[in-house]
Amino acid sequence: MVKKKKGSILKVFLIFFVLELIIVFLSSDFNKQLQIGFQDGKFVFRNVQTTYDLQEKITEEFQIDEHYKRTGEEPKIYQSNKLYEFFKKIFGKASAIGTFQLLRMLLIVDFVLLLIAFLIKKRIFERPSKPQIMFELLYGAFEEFVVETLSEKRRHFTPYIVTLFIFIWICNMIGMIPIPGFMEPTRNLNVPLGLGFAAVVVVHVTAIKTKGLWRHLQNYINPVKNPLFLLDIVGEISKVVSISFRLFGNILGGAIIILVVSSLVKYVVFPVGLNLFFGIFVGTIQAFVFTMLALTYIGVEVVE
Amino acid sequence: MELAQGIVKAAALLGAGMCMGMGALGPGVGEGFVAGKACEGIARSPENASLITRTMLVGQAVSESTGIYSLVIALLLIFST
Repeated sequence: MVKKKKGSILKVFLIFFVLELIIVFLSSDFNKQLQIGFQDGKFVFRNVQTTYDLQEKITEEFQIDEHYKRTGEEPKIYQSNKLYEFFKKIFGKASAIGTFQLLRMLLIVDFVLLLIAFLIKKRIFERPSKPQIMFELLYGAFEEFVVETLSEKRRHFTPYIVTLFIFIWICNMIGMIPIPGFMEPTRNLNVPLGLGFAAVVVVHVTAIKTKGLWRHLQNYINPVKNPLFLLDIVGEISKVVSISFRLFGNILGGAIIILVVSSLVKYVVFPVGLNLFFGIFVGTIQAFVFTMLALTYIGVEVVE
Repeated sequence: MELAQGIVKAAALLGAGMCMGMGALGPGVGEGFVAGKACEGIARSPENASLITRTMLVGQAVSESTGIYSLVIALLLIFST
Protein backbone atom coordinates (compact mmCIF):
# COMPACT_ATOMS: atom_id res chain seq x y z
CA MET A 1 0.00 0.00 0.00
CA VAL A 2 2.71 2.37 1.04
CA LYS A 3 4.84 1.43 -1.92
CA LYS A 4 1.98 2.19 -4.29
CA LYS A 5 1.50 5.62 -2.73
CA LYS A 6 5.18 6.41 -3.11
CA GLY A 7 5.03 5.42 -6.76
CA SER A 8 2.06 7.66 -7.47
CA ILE A 9 3.76 10.61 -5.78
CA LEU A 10 6.82 9.98 -7.89
CA LYS A 11 4.67 9.92 -11.01
CA VAL A 12 3.09 13.27 -10.13
CA PHE A 13 6.54 14.74 -9.57
CA LEU A 14 7.71 13.35 -12.88
CA ILE A 15 4.75 14.88 -14.72
CA PHE A 16 5.42 18.25 -13.10
CA PHE A 17 9.09 17.95 -13.98
CA VAL A 18 8.37 17.21 -17.64
CA LEU A 19 5.83 20.05 -17.79
CA GLU A 20 8.33 22.44 -16.27
CA LEU A 21 11.00 21.29 -18.72
CA ILE A 22 8.67 22.02 -21.65
CA ILE A 23 7.69 25.43 -20.29
CA VAL A 24 11.31 26.31 -19.60
CA PHE A 25 12.35 25.29 -23.07
CA LEU A 26 9.57 27.35 -24.62
CA SER A 27 9.92 30.41 -22.47
CA SER A 28 13.42 31.10 -21.28
CA ASP A 29 15.37 31.76 -24.39
CA PHE A 30 17.21 35.01 -24.72
CA ASN A 31 15.60 35.78 -28.06
CA LYS A 32 12.11 34.47 -27.32
CA GLN A 33 9.69 35.13 -24.53
CA LEU A 34 6.46 33.26 -24.07
CA GLN A 35 3.38 35.42 -23.75
CA ILE A 36 0.25 33.88 -22.21
CA GLY A 37 -2.86 35.89 -21.40
CA PHE A 38 -5.69 37.95 -22.79
CA GLN A 39 -5.03 40.76 -25.19
CA ASP A 40 -7.68 42.72 -27.11
CA GLY A 41 -10.32 40.19 -26.10
CA LYS A 42 -8.39 37.23 -27.53
CA PHE A 43 -6.49 34.48 -25.79
CA VAL A 44 -2.82 34.91 -26.65
CA PHE A 45 -0.22 32.16 -26.57
CA ARG A 46 2.79 33.05 -28.65
CA ASN A 47 6.49 33.79 -28.66
CA VAL A 48 7.54 37.41 -28.51
CA GLN A 49 10.78 38.17 -30.26
CA THR A 50 13.03 40.41 -28.24
CA THR A 51 16.67 41.09 -28.83
CA TYR A 52 18.61 40.05 -25.77
CA ASP A 53 22.37 40.07 -26.05
CA LEU A 54 24.48 37.65 -24.02
CA GLN A 55 27.18 40.30 -23.76
CA GLU A 56 24.66 42.77 -22.36
CA LYS A 57 23.46 40.16 -19.85
CA ILE A 58 27.04 39.59 -18.66
CA THR A 59 27.56 43.34 -18.40
CA GLU A 60 24.38 43.69 -16.35
CA GLU A 61 25.47 40.90 -14.04
CA PHE A 62 29.12 41.83 -13.52
CA GLN A 63 29.50 45.55 -14.29
CA ILE A 64 26.20 46.94 -13.18
CA ASP A 65 27.44 50.53 -13.13
CA GLU A 66 28.57 50.22 -16.74
CA HIS A 67 25.20 48.74 -17.68
CA TYR A 68 23.20 51.60 -16.21
CA LYS A 69 25.59 54.13 -17.70
CA ARG A 70 25.08 52.59 -21.14
CA THR A 71 21.30 52.32 -20.99
CA GLY A 72 20.95 55.73 -19.38
CA GLU A 73 18.12 54.83 -17.01
CA GLU A 74 18.04 55.34 -13.26
CA PRO A 75 18.41 52.14 -11.26
CA LYS A 76 15.94 51.37 -8.50
CA ILE A 77 16.94 50.00 -5.13
CA TYR A 78 14.13 48.30 -3.18
CA GLN A 79 11.37 49.79 -5.35
CA SER A 80 12.26 53.35 -4.41
CA ASN A 81 14.85 55.89 -5.42
CA LYS A 82 15.43 57.50 -2.03
CA LEU A 83 18.20 55.09 -1.04
CA TYR A 84 19.81 55.48 -4.46
CA GLU A 85 19.84 59.26 -4.13
CA PHE A 86 21.46 58.91 -0.72
CA PHE A 87 24.19 56.65 -2.12
CA LYS A 88 24.66 58.94 -5.11
CA LYS A 89 25.42 61.81 -2.75
CA ILE A 90 28.16 59.80 -1.02
CA PHE A 91 29.84 57.85 -3.83
CA GLY A 92 29.10 59.97 -6.87
CA LYS A 93 26.97 58.96 -9.83
CA ALA A 94 29.41 56.61 -11.50
CA SER A 95 29.53 53.81 -8.94
CA ALA A 96 26.53 54.27 -6.67
CA ILE A 97 24.62 51.08 -7.44
CA GLY A 98 27.67 48.78 -7.56
CA THR A 99 28.97 50.09 -4.25
CA PHE A 100 25.53 49.73 -2.73
CA GLN A 101 25.29 46.08 -3.80
CA LEU A 102 28.77 45.26 -2.51
CA LEU A 103 28.08 46.93 0.84
CA ARG A 104 24.72 45.17 1.13
CA MET A 105 26.27 41.75 0.49
CA LEU A 106 29.13 42.42 2.92
CA LEU A 107 26.65 43.48 5.61
CA ILE A 108 24.60 40.33 5.01
CA VAL A 109 27.72 38.17 5.32
CA ASP A 110 28.73 39.97 8.52
CA PHE A 111 25.24 39.48 9.89
CA VAL A 112 25.36 35.74 9.16
CA LEU A 113 28.78 35.53 10.82
CA LEU A 114 27.53 37.37 13.94
CA LEU A 115 24.41 35.19 14.04
CA ILE A 116 26.51 32.02 13.94
CA ALA A 117 28.79 33.37 16.67
CA PHE A 118 25.92 34.27 19.01
CA LEU A 119 24.06 31.00 18.41
CA ILE A 120 27.18 28.97 19.12
CA LYS A 121 28.07 31.02 22.17
CA LYS A 122 24.59 30.62 23.61
CA ARG A 123 24.61 26.85 23.26
CA ILE A 124 27.95 25.85 24.77
CA PHE A 125 27.23 22.98 27.15
CA GLU A 126 29.12 20.21 28.88
CA ARG A 127 27.39 17.74 26.62
CA PRO A 128 27.83 19.43 23.25
CA SER A 129 24.95 20.06 20.87
CA LYS A 130 25.21 19.25 17.17
CA PRO A 131 26.37 22.68 15.86
CA GLN A 132 28.84 22.91 18.72
CA ILE A 133 30.41 19.60 17.70
CA MET A 134 30.67 20.80 14.10
CA PHE A 135 32.39 24.06 14.97
CA GLU A 136 34.62 22.41 17.55
CA LEU A 137 35.78 19.99 14.85
CA LEU A 138 36.50 22.92 12.51
CA TYR A 139 38.33 24.86 15.21
CA GLY A 140 40.28 21.77 16.26
CA ALA A 141 41.41 21.02 12.72
CA PHE A 142 42.63 24.59 12.18
CA GLU A 143 44.31 24.63 15.58
CA GLU A 144 46.23 21.54 14.50
CA PHE A 145 47.38 23.31 11.31
CA VAL A 146 48.45 26.37 13.29
CA VAL A 147 50.44 24.29 15.78
CA GLU A 148 52.05 22.34 12.95
CA THR A 149 53.01 25.41 10.92
CA LEU A 150 53.92 27.88 13.67
CA SER A 151 54.61 26.39 17.08
CA GLU A 152 52.91 25.40 20.31
CA LYS A 153 53.29 28.87 21.88
CA ARG A 154 51.70 30.64 18.89
CA ARG A 155 48.34 28.95 19.37
CA HIS A 156 46.65 32.37 19.66
CA PHE A 157 46.67 32.80 15.86
CA THR A 158 43.86 30.25 15.54
CA PRO A 159 40.89 32.67 15.97
CA TYR A 160 42.17 34.91 13.18
CA ILE A 161 42.73 31.98 10.83
CA VAL A 162 39.34 30.37 11.55
CA THR A 163 37.52 33.70 11.16
CA LEU A 164 39.26 34.29 7.83
CA PHE A 165 38.22 30.85 6.61
CA ILE A 166 34.58 31.12 7.72
CA PHE A 167 34.24 34.66 6.32
CA ILE A 168 35.59 33.75 2.87
CA TRP A 169 33.58 30.52 2.87
CA ILE A 170 30.30 32.30 3.59
CA CYS A 171 31.23 34.93 0.98
CA ASN A 172 31.70 32.20 -1.63
CA MET A 173 28.58 30.26 -0.68
CA ILE A 174 26.16 33.19 -0.55
CA GLY A 175 26.18 33.67 -4.32
CA MET A 176 24.25 30.42 -4.78
CA ILE A 177 21.09 31.79 -3.13
CA PRO A 178 18.81 32.61 -6.07
CA ILE A 179 17.65 36.07 -5.03
CA PRO A 180 18.08 38.93 -7.56
CA GLY A 181 21.04 41.10 -6.66
CA PHE A 182 22.73 38.45 -4.54
CA MET A 183 26.36 37.99 -5.49
CA GLU A 184 29.58 36.84 -3.92
CA PRO A 185 31.35 39.82 -2.31
CA THR A 186 34.63 38.16 -3.31
CA ARG A 187 33.62 38.70 -6.93
CA ASN A 188 34.61 42.35 -6.43
CA LEU A 189 38.38 42.81 -6.42
CA ASN A 190 38.30 45.20 -3.45
CA VAL A 191 37.29 42.52 -0.94
CA PRO A 192 40.10 39.97 -1.63
CA LEU A 193 42.59 42.83 -1.94
CA GLY A 194 41.60 44.10 1.50
CA LEU A 195 41.80 40.64 3.02
CA GLY A 196 45.22 40.00 1.46
CA PHE A 197 46.52 43.38 2.63
CA ALA A 198 45.30 42.65 6.16
CA ALA A 199 47.06 39.26 6.06
CA VAL A 200 50.37 40.86 5.02
CA VAL A 201 50.02 43.46 7.78
CA VAL A 202 49.54 40.64 10.28
CA VAL A 203 52.66 38.93 8.87
CA HIS A 204 54.84 42.02 9.35
CA VAL A 205 53.50 42.83 12.81
CA THR A 206 54.28 39.27 13.87
CA ALA A 207 57.79 39.49 12.39
CA ILE A 208 58.47 42.78 14.19
CA LYS A 209 57.20 41.29 17.44
CA THR A 210 59.48 38.26 17.20
CA LYS A 211 62.65 39.75 15.67
CA GLY A 212 62.46 43.38 16.69
CA LEU A 213 61.86 46.38 14.44
CA TRP A 214 65.46 47.09 13.46
CA ARG A 215 66.39 43.50 12.66
CA HIS A 216 63.27 43.08 10.57
CA LEU A 217 63.78 46.35 8.70
CA GLN A 218 67.36 45.43 7.79
CA ASN A 219 66.02 42.79 5.40
CA TYR A 220 64.49 45.55 3.30
CA ILE A 221 66.85 48.53 3.53
CA ASN A 222 70.35 47.19 4.19
CA PRO A 223 72.22 46.30 0.96
CA VAL A 224 75.18 44.84 2.84
CA LYS A 225 73.25 42.27 4.81
CA ASN A 226 70.77 41.46 2.08
CA PRO A 227 72.07 42.26 -1.45
CA LEU A 228 68.72 41.41 -3.08
CA PHE A 229 66.68 43.75 -0.91
CA LEU A 230 64.86 45.27 -3.89
CA LEU A 231 63.57 41.84 -4.88
CA ASP A 232 62.26 41.33 -1.37
CA ILE A 233 60.29 44.58 -1.50
CA VAL A 234 58.76 43.55 -4.83
CA GLY A 235 58.06 40.13 -3.32
CA GLU A 236 56.04 41.66 -0.51
CA ILE A 237 53.85 43.50 -3.02
CA SER A 238 53.47 40.40 -5.18
CA LYS A 239 52.34 38.43 -2.11
CA VAL A 240 49.26 40.67 -1.81
CA VAL A 241 48.62 40.59 -5.55
CA SER A 242 48.92 36.82 -5.94
CA ILE A 243 46.88 35.87 -2.88
CA SER A 244 44.03 38.23 -3.73
CA PHE A 245 43.91 37.78 -7.51
CA ARG A 246 43.75 34.01 -7.08
CA LEU A 247 40.55 34.20 -5.00
CA PHE A 248 39.04 36.96 -7.16
CA GLY A 249 39.77 35.23 -10.47
CA ASN A 250 38.47 31.87 -9.36
CA ILE A 251 35.17 33.23 -8.09
CA LEU A 252 34.62 35.65 -10.99
CA GLY A 253 35.54 33.05 -13.61
CA GLY A 254 33.24 30.49 -12.01
CA ALA A 255 30.36 32.98 -11.94
CA ILE A 256 30.86 33.90 -15.62
CA ILE A 257 31.06 30.22 -16.65
CA ILE A 258 27.87 29.45 -14.68
CA LEU A 259 26.04 32.33 -16.37
CA VAL A 260 27.20 31.58 -19.92
CA VAL A 261 26.80 27.79 -19.85
CA SER A 262 23.42 27.87 -18.12
CA SER A 263 22.15 30.35 -20.69
CA LEU A 264 23.42 28.02 -23.45
CA VAL A 265 21.49 25.04 -22.02
CA LYS A 266 18.46 27.29 -21.30
CA TYR A 267 18.60 26.93 -17.50
CA VAL A 268 17.60 23.23 -17.46
CA VAL A 269 19.27 20.74 -15.04
CA PHE A 270 22.86 21.80 -15.86
CA PRO A 271 23.17 24.86 -13.54
CA VAL A 272 22.79 22.55 -10.51
CA GLY A 273 25.95 20.65 -11.40
CA LEU A 274 27.77 23.86 -12.30
CA ASN A 275 26.84 25.42 -8.96
CA LEU A 276 27.94 22.25 -7.15
CA PHE A 277 31.38 22.43 -8.76
CA PHE A 278 32.09 26.17 -9.05
CA GLY A 279 30.12 27.18 -5.97
CA ILE A 280 30.73 24.56 -3.33
CA PHE A 281 33.92 22.77 -4.45
CA VAL A 282 35.95 25.67 -5.82
CA GLY A 283 34.63 28.04 -3.15
CA THR A 284 35.67 25.77 -0.30
CA ILE A 285 39.06 24.98 -1.86
CA GLN A 286 39.85 28.64 -2.48
CA ALA A 287 38.81 29.69 1.03
CA PHE A 288 41.05 26.93 2.41
CA VAL A 289 43.95 27.92 0.14
CA PHE A 290 43.67 31.58 1.14
CA THR A 291 43.84 30.73 4.84
CA MET A 292 46.65 28.20 4.37
CA LEU A 293 48.73 30.71 2.39
CA ALA A 294 48.21 33.41 5.02
CA LEU A 295 49.33 30.89 7.64
CA THR A 296 52.38 29.94 5.57
CA TYR A 297 53.40 33.59 5.14
CA ILE A 298 53.24 34.04 8.90
CA GLY A 299 55.20 30.83 9.38
CA VAL A 300 58.01 31.91 7.04
CA GLU A 301 58.58 35.11 9.03
CA VAL A 302 58.38 33.44 12.42
CA VAL A 303 60.61 30.39 11.99
CA GLU A 304 64.20 31.56 11.68
CA MET B 1 36.96 55.99 -36.77
CA GLU B 2 34.45 53.11 -36.92
CA LEU B 3 36.90 50.86 -38.73
CA ALA B 4 39.70 51.62 -36.28
CA GLN B 5 37.45 50.81 -33.30
CA GLY B 6 36.37 47.58 -34.95
CA ILE B 7 39.96 46.55 -35.57
CA VAL B 8 40.88 47.30 -31.96
CA LYS B 9 37.92 45.28 -30.66
CA ALA B 10 38.72 42.34 -32.95
CA ALA B 11 42.36 42.37 -31.91
CA ALA B 12 41.36 42.46 -28.23
CA LEU B 13 39.01 39.49 -28.63
CA LEU B 14 41.64 37.52 -30.54
CA GLY B 15 44.19 38.36 -27.88
CA ALA B 16 41.80 37.23 -25.14
CA GLY B 17 41.32 33.87 -26.83
CA MET B 18 45.04 33.35 -27.34
CA CYS B 19 45.72 34.46 -23.77
CA MET B 20 43.34 31.86 -22.35
CA GLY B 21 44.59 29.13 -24.67
CA MET B 22 48.26 29.59 -23.87
CA GLY B 23 47.63 30.39 -20.22
CA ALA B 24 45.73 27.15 -19.72
CA LEU B 25 48.66 25.04 -20.99
CA GLY B 26 50.93 25.48 -18.00
CA PRO B 27 48.41 24.93 -15.17
CA GLY B 28 47.02 21.88 -16.97
CA VAL B 29 50.42 20.20 -17.22
CA GLY B 30 51.37 21.24 -13.68
CA GLU B 31 48.17 20.06 -12.02
CA GLY B 32 48.28 16.74 -13.84
CA PHE B 33 51.86 16.23 -12.69
CA VAL B 34 50.90 17.00 -9.08
CA ALA B 35 47.94 14.61 -9.21
CA GLY B 36 50.13 11.83 -10.65
CA LYS B 37 52.74 12.30 -7.94
CA ALA B 38 50.00 12.26 -5.30
CA CYS B 39 48.69 8.97 -6.74
CA GLU B 40 52.20 7.51 -6.44
CA GLY B 41 52.48 8.73 -2.87
CA ILE B 42 49.12 7.26 -1.85
CA ALA B 43 50.02 3.94 -3.49
CA ARG B 44 53.27 3.86 -1.55
CA SER B 45 51.78 4.84 1.83
CA PRO B 46 47.97 4.58 1.96
CA GLU B 47 47.84 5.60 5.62
CA ASN B 48 48.89 9.16 4.73
CA ALA B 49 46.15 9.53 2.12
CA SER B 50 44.29 12.45 3.75
CA LEU B 51 47.45 14.50 4.30
CA ILE B 52 48.60 13.87 0.73
CA THR B 53 45.19 14.82 -0.67
CA ARG B 54 45.16 18.06 1.32
CA THR B 55 48.65 19.02 0.22
CA MET B 56 47.81 18.09 -3.36
CA LEU B 57 44.72 20.33 -3.42
CA VAL B 58 46.61 23.30 -1.97
CA GLY B 59 49.48 22.80 -4.40
CA GLN B 60 47.14 22.52 -7.35
CA ALA B 61 45.31 25.67 -6.34
CA VAL B 62 48.61 27.54 -6.09
CA SER B 63 49.89 26.30 -9.44
CA GLU B 64 46.54 27.20 -10.98
CA SER B 65 47.14 30.86 -10.23
CA THR B 66 49.01 31.57 -13.48
CA GLY B 67 45.95 30.37 -15.37
CA ILE B 68 43.81 32.62 -13.21
CA TYR B 69 46.04 35.60 -14.04
CA SER B 70 45.57 34.92 -17.74
CA LEU B 71 41.80 34.69 -17.13
CA VAL B 72 41.85 38.11 -15.47
CA ILE B 73 43.82 39.56 -18.39
CA ALA B 74 41.41 38.00 -20.89
CA LEU B 75 38.43 39.47 -19.03
CA LEU B 76 40.13 42.88 -19.03
CA LEU B 77 40.70 42.60 -22.78
CA ILE B 78 37.09 41.59 -23.45
CA PHE B 79 35.27 44.05 -21.21
CA SER B 80 37.43 47.16 -21.10
CA THR B 81 38.14 47.79 -24.78
